[in-house]
Amino acid sequence: MSPDLSNALRAETPTAPDALRHRIALIASEPPTPRRVLPLRRVLMVAAPAAAAASLVAAVAVGVKAGVEHQPSREAVANELAPKAPSGGLPIPRSAVRTVAPDAFAPAVAAPARKRAQDVRTSITLLVDDTDDLSATTQRALRITRSLGGYVQTVNFGSETAEGTAALQVRIPVSRVQAAVVRFSGLGRILAQQTQITDLQQRLDELTRQIRRAGDPRIRAALRRERIELHRRAAYATLSLDLTTHEPQQQAAPPSRIDRAVNDATGVLTGELAVIAYALIVASPFLVLLAAAYAGRRAYRRYSDLRLLERA
Amino acid sequence: MGTGFVPTSCQSGVTRAAPAAYTECVSDAPAQGFRSIAEAHLDDVYRYLLYVTANPSTADDLTSETFERALRRWSSFDPRRGSAQTWLCQLARGAALDHFRAEARRRRREERVAEPDRGAEHELPDEYGPVLRQALRTLSGADREVIALRIVLELDAKTAARILNISPSACTTRLNRALERLEEKVRPRLVA
Repeated sequence: MSPDLSNALRAETPTAPDALRHRIALIASEPPTPRRVLPLRRVLMVAAPAAAAASLVAAVAVGVKAGVEHQPSREAVANELAPKAPSGGLPIPRSAVRTVAPDAFAPAVAAPARKRAQDVRTSITLLVDDTDDLSATTQRALRITRSLGGYVQTVNFGSETAEGTAALQVRIPVSRVQAAVVRFSGLGRILAQQTQITDLQQRLDELTRQIRRAGDPRIRAALRRERIELHRRAAYATLSLDLTTHEPQQQAAPPSRIDRAVNDATGVLTGELAVIAYALIVASPFLVLLAAAYAGRRAYRRYSDLRLLERA
Repeated sequence: MGTGFVPTSCQSGVTRAAPAAYTECVSDAPAQGFRSIAEAHLDDVYRYLLYVTANPSTADDLTSETFERALRRWSSFDPRRGSAQTWLCQLARGAALDHFRAEARRRRREERVAEPDRGAEHELPDEYGPVLRQALRTLSGADREVIALRIVLELDAKTAARILNISPSACTTRLNRALERLEEKVRPRLVA
């Protein structure tokens, strides 16, 4: 473009007439409209960090609260560390089970009542040095069983190059079960011990009454057989002896209060993020549609504006 | 320059001959208020609207409308996002487009029942020379708009593009085409 044309365009374009100038002066003399609503951008700039801070504070509060509430008691720790009941065994009445904390392991068994028939079951887990010691200890356990007047029900012995286990189930006369536990305990280091005592006397008394009342000789014979069986169960205690060369791994220390609080807070934050991610996933198709509609509307508006100006 | 305004600030050394300096001064001090900004950019807005509408009375009305809108929206003006001149030109463009839309609707309504009134014809004021006035009349409003922003108001491509809501390269392309058309109209008359 020639400079002359540019200069002519600038020079020949008139300025605002005086009447318009006065009109604008009147408009400008009015006080500007005060801001009534917060702009969306400013609201978002405040609301977004505030929401993030609130969620963080909530997570920390939940974490601290949960950390205090979940502090385990000594009993709970002992229960957690106690050996579990043998699988397939009878349900164990809580009062009849004696649990010994690992740091207090010592050969001990509740003394069976002398005048009542009881089913006594004891299990002991012992640590031995190596496979040679395992074999010798198994032999000694068998000898002890026999020396106490008991007998072996099952023996399961297995060893590899470095590790080995042996599981013995023996029956010992009830009157000598305490001595048996003490002697078995001397065969190695006690890892776990559990004793379960179930009262049979009540059932025996009932059977005796039923036998007296029973008129049918066959029923009476069956009841008698059951009573004999119960007497046998009550005469001998069942003792499970597990021998192992594998030292159990030290249980991890329970997490500290701060660790628990951090874990819980992290869990809450993760949950919040999951909710946000879920909401975004659900809303994303609608957001894409909205964005496309917005972009289309803008493009159409731009096109229609240009058409208007071209016709002007 | 006209009368009626007494700029509250930015008076020293600022004349109509140095509009850019004046604009800088005003845009750097938004607290000076709406009145001083209106004074500083009234001519810019009027000239822009005169080019877009090619009609002085319509430009008058739309200038008033622009400053009324500016007064209502003064609280939303943020000098960090653009100068006051850019903001006012955007408002002026919105006012002009609204006017054209209303005119188009009115014409459509009238076409249904009667011979449409052509509305205000392009009557550029006498300040323009006959050659330039005739040439500008033949250009479209879009052409005159980009010439007004880039040549008359001397805005850079980025600022003009922002007002036009297009990219700077598109703005430059539109300007070049508009100037080519203007020169095509002007040259034969000058030669004659």
